[in-house]
Amino acid sequence: MHNNEKINGSGKRTSFTHATAQAQAAGSIEAIPATVKDFRCPVCSKDFSGYPELKQHYTEDHPDAVIPVTVSLNINGKDCEVLIEPHWTLQRTLQFRLGLTGSKLMCDRGVCGSCTVIMDGRSVLSCSILAVECEGKNIQTIEGIAANPKWKPLVDAYCKWDAMQCGYCTPGFLVSAKSILDKNPHPTDEEIKEALAGNICICGTYPRHSTAIMEAASIMAKEGE
Amino acid sequence: MADLEGVNGQREEFRVVGKPNLPGRLSYALAAGIAKFGIDYAVPGMLHAKFLRSPYANAKIISINTDKARSIPGVADIVTWEDEDIKKLVSEGESFAPKEPWLDNIADHEGVEVGVIVVAENEDICEKALKELDIEWEILPHIVDIQTGRKPDFPVIRPEERMASSMFGPPVPKTGNVHFSTLEQGDVESGFKEADYIIEYDLNMPAFASHMPNPSGSVAWWFDDPYHGGGKSLHLEGVAWRTDLAKDAVGRMYKMPPEKVIHRGIFQGGKYCDWGLRKSQEITPLLARRTGRPVRCMNTRKDTFDFLINQRFIHMKVGFKDNGLITAIDDYSIADGGARGSSSFGTSGDQHYGPYFTTKCLNIKQKMEVVDSNRGKMYVSGQHCPFNWDSITMAIYLIAEKLGKDPINIARLNLHGPVSQEDPEPVPSFEACIETGKEMMSWDWHSAGSKKLPDGRMHGASFRYQMSPRHSGATYNTKLELRNGIVHMPTQGPCTGIFAVEANAMVVAEELGLEYEDVIVDFDYREPFFPVGGGSDGTTASAWVMKECAHILKKNILKAAIDEAENPPARSMFEFGPPEDPSPFKGLKPEDLDMEKGKIFIKADPDKSVPVPKAVKKNIFATYSGRPPLSIWSQGMGKMLDTMNTAYCEVAVDTETGEVEILRFGVVADTGKVIRRTSLESQIDQVMYFSQGCQLLEDFVYDQRTGVKLNTNMFDYKKPTIKDVPHVERDFLESRAGNAVYGASGISHSLANTHAVIIAIHNAIGVWVDPPATPDKVLKALGKA
Ligand code: FES
Ligand code: FES
Repeated sequence: MHNNEKINGSGKRTSFTHATAQAQAAGSIEAIPATVKDFRCPVCSKDFSGYPELKQHYTEDHPDAVIPVTVSLNINGKDCEVLIEPHWTLQRTLQFRLGLTGSKLMCDRGVCGSCTVIMDGRSVLSCSILAVECEGKNIQTIEGIAANPKWKPLVDAYCKWDAMQCGYCTPGFLVSAKSILDKNPHPTDEEIKEALAGNICICGTYPRHSTAIMEAASIMAKEGE
Repeated sequence: MADLEGVNGQREEFRVVGKPNLPGRLSYALAAGIAKFGIDYAVPGMLHAKFLRSPYANAKIISINTDKARSIPGVADIVTWEDEDIKKLVSEGESFAPKEPWLDNIADHEGVEVGVIVVAENEDICEKALKELDIEWEILPHIVDIQTGRKPDFPVIRPEERMASSMFGPPVPKTGNVHFSTLEQGDVESGFKEADYIIEYDLNMPAFASHMPNPSGSVAWWFDDPYHGGGKSLHLEGVAWRTDLAKDAVGRMYKMPPEKVIHRGIFQGGKYCDWGLRKSQEITPLLARRTGRPVRCMNTRKDTFDFLINQRFIHMKVGFKDNGLITAIDDYSIADGGARGSSSFGTSGDQHYGPYFTTKCLNIKQKMEVVDSNRGKMYVSGQHCPFNWDSITMAIYLIAEKLGKDPINIARLNLHGPVSQEDPEPVPSFEACIETGKEMMSWDWHSAGSKKLPDGRMHGASFRYQMSPRHSGATYNTKLELRNGIVHMPTQGPCTGIFAVEANAMVVAEELGLEYEDVIVDFDYREPFFPVGGGSDGTTASAWVMKECAHILKKNILKAAIDEAENPPARSMFEFGPPEDPSPFKGLKPEDLDMEKGKIFIKADPDKSVPVPKAVKKNIFATYSGRPPLSIWSQGMGKMLDTMNTAYCEVAVDTETGEVEILRFGVVADTGKVIRRTSLESQIDQVMYFSQGCQLLEDFVYDQRTGVKLNTNMFDYKKPTIKDVPHVERDFLESRAGNAVYGASGISHSLANTHAVIIAIHNAIGVWVDPPATPDKVLKALGKA
């Protein structure tokens, strides 16, 4: 049996401030593997020394299966390469290949916005886009936003105003919020609602988001003066 | 009764408690996306598992051949209900379900786990293998329409005797597919004879999905553990809740003592009062043991569409005098008992919480048919409990309409006093709520169909009241530590979306003269303290216990300050610099001292103070186990009253398009005492949006022929979005009349309603529309479609 105790560390205390959360988010980006190290067959879990060997194995042992592909991505400013099956979504890739769990899966079909990321400046739903379609694209996830001190006022405002209850939808909302502010540094309540109409919160946090975003916008405007 | 038994229960000055905008202790982790929920865990080398889910509403697996599935590359294991390993499993989690068998070959609703579990290298292979199972099914008759299923000649769908639950009394024998549950007091017949008027009406309560935001599941693996008796220990993630009822319960299934079951995750997601463990949370240890690898088993979104409330039809007959005083109530309900193991909170359990008991009417009969169905399972509890409350809201509205009187006045006339159903006195909390509510809403009652808005739409309004409940009877085990001069509050969490840990930390800060930020919360799954047990209800109950613990810690700190003043601890050989000044507390007694702003000071001479870390060098501990006095709510179930709340709804109905707009909701809630304002506000919003959803948008749709649920996805099952939700006006009153911390009570469940919007629609257009009141139904009710 595996001894996986070290996987989750053994730290007893869990205490989150902006600084610790920012550092952890930055750490998760840092930990993204730049190149593919494990050439593991997704069908039988055999390990291979490189991509050609894996391809060869497919030809010999799984002739009917679709061969995994490598895709180059830029995630939160970091270039990386992943080995995935061609039908993998970006959300699945972020979670299972890159260890980024901030893009949450709620509806699994492009309705709820929990998995929102920003790709080349546009909000996209990572559950509904294939990773292979993201080749060479610039992708920002919640971790990238949280790790960037520029967005501290937004994260602070979300925490100050409880723009979360269970918090599962929250990263998706926050990514959408950042996307609004990218385009419109002083959004109105109406504009925010319009822009967040694709994010669903089951815990009823809706009115909190405008308050938090507008407060963050005014703090960021002052900081920019 | 107010918080009179505890220490400082009637404290007058608050520096921390009630303050808004204090960030949650885990909010940064949630916002930054680094908080891991069960579904987020992925560990190297893990396998994936999936259950076979029934394609039929009611069916039995006669035989199964797994050979073809097993031969698929990447399939690691296939387990069936016939395996000894499965037969040995007994669920230990919080549930009212029958305990055995854990998995069998009978599926009693479409989509339920049945018969087989496949373990493979990835989920795609699991799906493929499930498709390759060669299964012979026996398809049985099903019920997804309870009105049909209750008919005496309908085939019995579940032959064994079974009550929805035995929680509220012994199981009752059933007839056909129906169990009967009856609760009666007084003499209903003579109550009707006394009446000047008798009205009868029907309510249809639709089924309502919880579909918690984060699909549930778990990851488990076994590891060598030399520290706890050797052998293997279990690491489990994805079952965050009270450790004894979640991770330890799963551990017990595998004969593992609590200390050999690790669970580090603290983020539960939006389960709220849905305490039931899912099979995907219980099975992974077995599969990990069998395969020797970590195993992950996650439900899909479709699998996560469980019931939050079951469907119910209520036929009410109410007798009343010509002044509106109710003399008799006869409630005949037909409730969906759901699939095997559904909670009785959704059915017979409600009868005991009866809203009727809040009235002066002593003649009450409640009879319920609980109909077995194949519609799905309702887990332990939901945000809409008690479900039947709006039958009294409806009765009051109809009496008001009949007599041309304001429903607030009818409610006021009928509500009994604080002590008993025969107490004629007004309930101060209720009086305060309606006074504030009328002002807040500019309340101006009009009869049905009589008010047109300037834009041509019809205006309608409704009013309801409820008790602010405190039902937690749990014992809480609290511990506080002063470590190196800093106060620590250890807790297992979890992070449930109700900020209960934070409310407790605020109380600690209040009692110890600290700021909220000064109290360090140590999250550790091994700690006994869990501030849950209902939502705000468990928060306020646990915070009462924490208040007592904080008081003990304070006493211990002040005593230690005197001890150390008298006998200063010896300087260690590593301490340099001049010796410290002698303590000003020398010669005093602990009762001469107090604490504020992180300092200990002399009460008679407050300028003489010493920072806590300097005054007390040793570590101090305090523990307190207990619970607040039982609440009026739990003792009286409506027959005694303390904290109350009221809700208001205003709608505009377009009679041309059938569209209903909620102009605003209003809530005036006597919370007893507001503890954490920002999350309290959010909880109120949440419950009003739930209520909006079930009255305007949400409904389960079944294919009657096959019994298959057609809308278990978020496209077709519509939850409100930010653009749909109305403004919620809120005001909180602080009567200090509850007996949890500082006189607080719980609140959120009680505002959940199934008919406040529906009544407002009737008030607008004068005809009834069953929920969800979609435009087509409104037009149909108006005879326009
Ligand atoms: S999970 Fe991607 S939009 Fe819902
Ligand atoms: S905070 Fe729970 S889903 Fe939004």
